[in-house]
Amino acid sequence: MIIVYANYGNNMRKIRTKAQMKIQQMAFMLMAVTLFFILVGMFALVWRFSGLKSSAVELEERNAMLLVTKLANSPEFSCGNSFGGTKINCIDADKVINLKVNINDYIGFWGKGVSNIKVETVYPINERIDCTLKNYPDCSVIDLFEKGIQGTATWNFVSICRKATDEMGVYDRCDLGKLYVYTNEEQE
Amino acid sequence: MFIQMKNKNKRAQDKKQAFSLHSKRAQEEMIGFALIIVIVAVILLVFIGFSLTRESDRVESYEVESFIQAVMQHTSDCRDNLERLPVQNLILKCRSNEICIDNRNTCDVLKETLEEIMSESWKIGDTPVIGYNLSIIMENQQVMSINAGNKTNNFKGSLQKLPHDIEVLLNVYY
Repeated sequence: MIIVYANYGNNMRKIRTKAQMKIQQMAFMLMAVTLFFILVGMFALVWRFSGLKSSAVELEERNAMLLVTKLANSPEFSCGNSFGGTKINCIDADKVINLKVNINDYIGFWGKGVSNIKVETVYPINERIDCTLKNYPDCSVIDLFEKGIQGTATWNFVSICRKATDEMGVYDRCDLGKLYVYTNEEQE
Repeated sequence: MFIQMKNKNKRAQDKKQAFSLHSKRAQEEMIGFALIIVIVAVILLVFIGFSLTRESDRVESYEVESFIQAVMQHTSDCRDNLERLPVQNLILKCRSNEICIDNRNTCDVLKETLEEIMSESWKIGDTPVIGYNLSIIMENQQVMSINAGNKTNNFKGSLQKLPHDIEVLLNVYY
């Protein structure tokens, strides 16, 4: 007769320990996988939002440039055909100085949002002198509404042209300048 | 009785061996998992590093485009028999190596004018601009270059094409 001793209690303890270890392993794995996906998600979000920011800045810049370009090419400012052919982003300074004289007739003409328009010569370098009919063209800034900085400024490079004279007679002179448009959202 | 004891000892030894094998396998699994995590982390780091340091493409800028257009229309102080030459015509005269009416070389006047315009328009230090590079390319060869400040990966630029295969390229670095 053979007597077999079976110690089930010990075996059960071992099985339980093994199961606990497996559960721990799975939990650890789940946590790691979740963490990994969270990191990947965050990275993707940051990537996506950085692209959005640059496109928003680009769009904003484009809109600002379009506003200024639209204004520069409007009949009140543009050179037209006065300086040898059609030029884009070209401002006739002689027109603008006359516009400044009659600016009271143009209040609200560019919409209530536009609070000021300024034309400034960048090159050749001049002392910063505000233009009036008396000192024109020996000046560098034509401040149309004489309100200075009001609201948000958007600007673009333009060519500021006028008829000038030297020892050889009258000639077309174009300088490098900036056209500023100040917009005030509260006034809109 | 002796046989029973011997069998019991053998079973115990077998179990011990089996447990040791299981434990070894679990350790191997954990090492494998850690290895995978490390590899994934390294790949991620390489990817992030690559995306941060890669050379950015030139962003077309309306501001720079308008600037080049305005510069091309600027009237220089170089005169030929007919008129004071705008910068665009000065570039064309420089290409054919002509001189101004006062015997100055058109290329010298062009370089001098562009240097002054650039330094006045893109002031380094006062503004976010930290550098610029203006190049004039004729027939795929750079014939003039005006640089200042430092070059970075964050820049805006524009290319203006002129007649006779001439290109004016400006990059402004921020």
